[in-house]
Amino acid sequence: MTLIVDGTSGVTFNDSSLQGAAASPYVLKNRIINGDMRIDQRYAGTATASTINGYTIDRWVVNQNASTGKLIAQQNQGSVTPPAGFTNYLGVTSQSAYTVGSTDWYSFQYNIEGYNVADLAYGTANAKTCTLSFWVRSSLTGTFAGTFGNSASTRAYPFTYTISAANTWEQKTITVYGDTSGSWNTTNGVGLYLMLSLGMGSTYTTGTANNSWATSTTISIPSGGTSVVGTNGATFYITGVQLEQNTSATPFERRMITNEIQLCQRYYEKCGWDQNSVPGSTSGYTGSIVSNFMGTASTAFEGINWMVIKRTAPTLTFYGSILGATETLGVVVDFNSGNSLGAASPLRIADCGYGHFNTTTSSSYGALYRVVASAEL
Amino acid sequence: MYKLIKDSITNDITIVKRLSDNAYIPFAPANTDYQAYLKWVSEGHTPLPADE
Repeated sequence: MTLIVDGTSGVTFNDSSLQGAAASPYVLKNRIINGDMRIDQRYAGTATASTINGYTIDRWVVNQNASTGKLIAQQNQGSVTPPAGFTNYLGVTSQSAYTVGSTDWYSFQYNIEGYNVADLAYGTANAKTCTLSFWVRSSLTGTFAGTFGNSASTRAYPFTYTISAANTWEQKTITVYGDTSGSWNTTNGVGLYLMLSLGMGSTYTTGTANNSWATSTTISIPSGGTSVVGTNGATFYITGVQLEQNTSATPFERRMITNEIQLCQRYYEKCGWDQNSVPGSTSGYTGSIVSNFMGTASTAFEGINWMVIKRTAPTLTFYGSILGATETLGVVVDFNSGNSLGAASPLRIADCGYGHFNTTTSSSYGALYRVVASAEL
Repeated sequence: MYKLIKDSITNDITIVKRLSDNAYIPFAPANTDYQAYLKWVSEGHTPLPADE
C-alpha cells in the first residue's frame, strides 16, 4: 500500500482518498447511510404502495408531494443485476405518463443529520469540498437534474448529470464545493439534503448548474431535466451513493451489516419484528414484546430501551396481535387470552427509550405488543 | 386530528396522539411529527382534550 504524506493534504492513500490533517475521512468517509440500499426495515423488499410520499428503504425518501400514485418504489425493483460489488439498489417505476404541473415535486431525497456534516464547516470560510458519487440505471437517457440544499432551502447547489445508455448502470460523480455562506444545522436537524429529480415543476426548476452555491427560496434544481414520471413504465434505479469530503470520488465505503443497521436505527427502529418482516403485516404472537407479568386486575409500568439512541424522542406506533388476526394499530393485547386490552398507553417517550403503562382486567395477565419508533428527519 | 395524552402517573401532558394512524408523538422540538402538529395548531386547529 502506498501512502503519500505532505503538509497540505495530510495522508493520501493508494485509492486517492485523503486523510486530511484536521478532518478524518476514514472515520466518517461516506456521509450517506444505507447508500448501498441494503437496509429496508419498513418494507422488507416489498413494493411500496403508489401512495407513498415519504421513507421507503431506510433513510431514503420518495417524494410525491403534488399527487401520489405516480411512482412505486422498491428495493431491487425489477430484479436487475446491480453494479459489481453491490447486492441492492433502490428503484422506482413510473405508473403513468404524467405531465408535471408547476408545483409538482417528484424526487429521491436523502437528509443528512447536522452532526454528520458539521465538520464540513458550511457557512464558514473553511467550508470543505465534497464529492458525490452514485450508480444509476434508467430506461430513459438524457440530462437529469438534482440539487443539494440546507434545511431551510435558502441555499442550493443545482447540478445535472447525463445518462448515456438506457438500462445500463453508469457511475456519476458530482463535485460539491463547500458553501461559505448560509445558515447550516450542525446538530440533530437536517444538515444537508440531496435531491435527485424524478420530475419537478417550474416552481422548483429555477437553479443553474454552474458548480456553485446560490441563494434560493425553495428547492432549486436546473430546468430541462428528464422527467421519470413523464413516461409510463419508466424506471430509475440508484445505488452506491457516497458523499465524501474529498475533491474526487473514491471507492464506496463498505460497512459491516451490523453497523449499517445501527446507523439506520438512529432514525427508525422496529421492536418485535425480524428484519424480514413488515410492521403490521403479520399475525400471531411471534416476536411480540411482552410487558411485565402482572397477574389479574392490576397495573404495571415497564420501560423499554432502544437498541440505538434516537436522533430525538421518536414517534411511536403500536401494534397488537389479537389471536388469529392481523395486527391492529394502536392496541395492546393480553398475552394469555389474545383479547384486546385497549389502546396502548405510552409515557415518557425519550431518545433513549419509553415507558408503557398497562392495566389488565380480571381475566388477563399482561399486555403484549410490538412497536415502531420513528425519529426520521 | 390529534388528541392530547395524559401521563398516567404524573398527569402531565407530554404526548399527542395522531388519530389518523394512532401514532404517539412526544413533545420533542426536533421530532418532525411534532413540528407538523405545531404547524397544525398554528393554523387554528385544536386537539381533542386528554381523557380525565
